[in-house]
Amino acid sequence: MEDMLEDTVLVNLRINGKLYELEIPPHKSLLDLLRDDLNLTGTHMGCMTGHCGACTVSIDGRVAKSCITLAATLGRAKITTIEGLAKDDGTLSAVQQAFWDEAGFQCAFCAPGMLLCTSELLDGNPDPTDEDIEKALAGNLCRCTGYQSIRRAVKAAIASRQQQADQVAE
Amino acid sequence: MSLHPVFARPRNLEQAGEVLGSLSSGAMIIAGGQELMPSVNYGMLMPEVYVDIGQVKELQGISESDGEIHIGALTVHRDVQDNEVTQTKLPLLAYAAAQVGGGWQVHNRGTIGGNIVSMHPLYDIVPSLLALDAEVDVLKGGKINRIALASLMKDASHGLGSEALLVRVIVKPITAAAGWAYEKLKITAGGYGSANAAAIVTKDGDNISSLRVVVGAVSALPHDLSGVLTGLVGQAWSDALAGEIEAKVSAAVSNPLSDHQGDGTWRKAMAGVVARRAVAAAAFKAQ
Repeated sequence: MEDMLEDTVLVNLRINGKLYELEIPPHKSLLDLLRDDLNLTGTHMGCMTGHCGACTVSIDGRVAKSCITLAATLGRAKITTIEGLAKDDGTLSAVQQAFWDEAGFQCAFCAPGMLLCTSELLDGNPDPTDEDIEKALAGNLCRCTGYQSIRRAVKAAIASRQQQADQVAE
Repeated sequence: MSLHPVFARPRNLEQAGEVLGSLSSGAMIIAGGQELMPSVNYGMLMPEVYVDIGQVKELQGISESDGEIHIGALTVHRDVQDNEVTQTKLPLLAYAAAQVGGGWQVHNRGTIGGNIVSMHPLYDIVPSLLALDAEVDVLKGGKINRIALASLMKDASHGLGSEALLVRVIVKPITAAAGWAYEKLKITAGGYGSANAAAIVTKDGDNISSLRVVVGAVSALPHDLSGVLTGLVGQAWSDALAGEIEAKVSAAVSNPLSDHQGDGTWRKAMAGVVARRAVAAAAFKAQ
């Protein structure tokens, strides 16, 4: 069984559309890989226990907390970080634009979790209820706003995406 | 011995059993990592070997056969919530999985197997599984043995040993006429509970004909209090019965937890409150 033990692990990750072949030590978290090795510092380090959500990324279309995700377990995953939400030319996504327009954040340390959870929510359900919004954002702590501006921004994002969908349909 | 941990990626159940059997207790299984990684980040656990079981197909998926529902140990909370089989046949478990703390991010990666073997007193899944008389398949020494989940809940460690692997959870559906409820007393939506209770109630006319109540997050282990309440079976729901359930459950919690979720005296009182609420909601749903 000794031959099964690896000192480093080879992963092929597609991060924000770009393919990375990486040889990584087994104990490295996805957070450290993104921030220290790939300089993607938009993913924030907060609590390191999985409570706060500041380190949120999307793995194969589902949000996850990168500080408690072991990078070596990810194999060939597709990862989107907060840097991957805007278009290449810098145009913000509908969700990002709504948070900007509604002043959804104050310090924005929690932005990765709020934006990626809202994006996953609206991808699966274009017309969520208040309860759906609360469930989708429950894994994120904001210590500035009291959440009301965040809820307002999510509602603006819903309206904006519906407007975009209507325009496409016309 | 290397300075940093090494990694093993078994491809199937047989390999997983072999690799776990060949390693010392410094080897740790990683599935979703939602329990393990916070402990590693804070230096409470320092695995020498990570055994990544994520590729093992036999540990995946939800299926139904011969009146039993099999839930692979790697099934994440989000899938327990959204799967058609669990939603229709095990609604109590599907609902409890949606109450797990940490939000979607944790629901997307945390597994039912990890939730069980972590033996965390504040976690949400085990009380419902105990109320449902769940069993588990455990791989050890090349053989799979089926045991009652309740038999693992004897002390703060499950007693399976580091060479064992939880393969799947087996649950029988509750009857359509049975009522169920899971009550979690919590401070924030995404947080831990200060007390929780799972209840399953059947009725004969207006009278309660069977009653299962398991209380969690108030003592080191989930507490099956159905036995304490057997004297109440046969009665119809009333305010007096509700008061009696609350008093008996609260009195039965002999060694309450006292932590950042609340002190022991309060937790003991809240055990009765969540049990009363859960039985009331389950009795209301029962036909």
